[in-house]
Amino acid sequence: MAIMGREFTYMWRDRELRNILLVGPLLGLLLFYATYSVQALTDIPTAVADLDRSTASRELTDYIGSAENLNIVACPNSFEEVEELIKKGKIVVGVVIPENYGKNVSLRRQARVEMIVDGSNMIYATNATGAVLSVTRSVGAKAGVQSLIAKGVHPDQAIGAYQSISFREEPWFNPTLNYAYFVVLALALNFWQQCCTIAACMNIIGETGVGSWRQLKAAGVSKLRLFFCKSAIQICTFMLIVCPIYALSFTVFKLPVHCSFGELFLFNLAFVIALHSVGTLASSIAPNAVDATRFGMIVALPSFIVSGYTWPLEAMPGFVQQLAKIVPHTWFFQGINYLTFKNPGWHFMVHFYLAFFLIAVACYGAATIFTCRK
Amino acid sequence: MEPVLIVTDLVQKVGKKTVLNGVSFTVHAGERFGLFGVKGAGKTTLLHILAGVDRFTSGSVETLGYDVRKSGAFKKHTGLVTQKRSLFEDLNTYENLDFIAALKCVDKDNIFSVIDRLELREYLNKPVKSLEAGVYQRLSVACALLNDPDLLIADELINGIDIYSRHIILKELERFLSNGGTCVRGYSDIRFCEQMCRVGWLEGGKITLYTPVEAIEQWDRQIQALSCQNGTDDD
Repeated sequence: MAIMGREFTYMWRDRELRNILLVGPLLGLLLFYATYSVQALTDIPTAVADLDRSTASRELTDYIGSAENLNIVACPNSFEEVEELIKKGKIVVGVVIPENYGKNVSLRRQARVEMIVDGSNMIYATNATGAVLSVTRSVGAKAGVQSLIAKGVHPDQAIGAYQSISFREEPWFNPTLNYAYFVVLALALNFWQQCCTIAACMNIIGETGVGSWRQLKAAGVSKLRLFFCKSAIQICTFMLIVCPIYALSFTVFKLPVHCSFGELFLFNLAFVIALHSVGTLASSIAPNAVDATRFGMIVALPSFIVSGYTWPLEAMPGFVQQLAKIVPHTWFFQGINYLTFKNPGWHFMVHFYLAFFLIAVACYGAATIFTCRK
Repeated sequence: MEPVLIVTDLVQKVGKKTVLNGVSFTVHAGERFGLFGVKGAGKTTLLHILAGVDRFTSGSVETLGYDVRKSGAFKKHTGLVTQKRSLFEDLNTYENLDFIAALKCVDKDNIFSVIDRLELREYLNKPVKSLEAGVYQRLSVACALLNDPDLLIADELINGIDIYSRHIILKELERFLSNGGTCVRGYSDIRFCEQMCRVGWLEGGKITLYTPVEAIEQWDRQIQALSCQNGTDDD
């Protein structure tokens, strides 16, 4: 109890560590929620260069303007002007309606409308492309129906011909494709795990690297007892600081959660133990506290990117996939996604727990070997 | 008298350097054993080995009847005062005493007893970081004596501290010895030899045992030899 009490005192009195652990993750959550509060990209700045100025081209311009996610902010007079606006970042989507557009449409000839999307920002580009596609699909269908009617096909038959195969898009688990649902919790948890890693990296070197290590050795305290007590307090602290993140996420920000609190708690606990083991290993190898933090950060910083949360693990090169699987973060972020969106059940999640267990056994085991030599 | 410490053919290598090279000596119960040597002679290394803080390359060390390599049980009966600051910097004076008492499984009464004996009452709430060298050393001695040890191992116990703290520490040391305690003290100031029963002179990784008078004479001889060599009259 004395060791546990002192560990808690140490964590509480270390103002920087306390602020990092208590304020950091919560601040991260608020910041990320504020960032993604619009939840989906709407009003994508769009410019339409109507070089035809016909009734048909005005109709098309109106149609583009009424599209859900597109917002016409400029009406340039040439392709070059559209190009200039995209380069300056004033617009993301540029539409160029060519001369003779109306004439070609009325003569049922092919009319080519240029739709340009700024691909320099992937997120913007993906959303803009989706919005543009929905417009072009509708306009194309409308032109096709009119063409059939002009050829003497009955209007109902013409419409039926275009609707004979109905593709119904139905995104499950996140029906509105809300970006906030997808990233806010993951980013906040990423922030949290980095803060925890910093603290865990002090577990062993925080004792062995300072003069008081001699007092502990002279007192004859067993290393196993010492580090077990310290680890228990650290793990409890990490679990305590993640609770407000979940509470805010699910009750205030209404982020989706499909599993029970118990399942989420257990999954987090398993991850925290595995994460703590990685920090402890770093802390047992490092010659000093600064190096221990560096080792920990080498693992913690890129772990979210390679976890497969934002870019599928299967799309990564084989060696990156294997590398990603040996860090607990990959299993955690994948697992959190499953639990919050789908809750696939214990049988599916059991291999995640197994991965945490194996990582913890390997890292704590290695850390024990290194620490025994100190 | 019963031997408290038996060191036999002790060798300690740090990297490629042999710090202790076949050191052997015995310390008996109730004895004040001085470990003298200039800086870098290996005093701290040897004292840390005796206290079971550091491992050693070869040889054997028996402290209070326990082989230090096989058992740590002797630590319940020893106290260590280190040369460098080794208290818990994140805790205040009282918390240090309380925590070390808990580590040593010592009764709370002992804490208040050492607080009074080493006159620490007015510093109890002060962080150890802010303590002056003399008060810090008094606290270090208090922590070492919390478990009423049979053997006190002290490295540079009163070197460079204020006269008042020195007086309190030496008084407490007398009390400890008069109660049957044994003390092994490391120091690099030859004048402290006078306070010892025997002196082990560490030089070049070897130990030579002297009476305090012999040790001081040996020191004087070395000074004289050096003076003759340089043609000066160094003290």
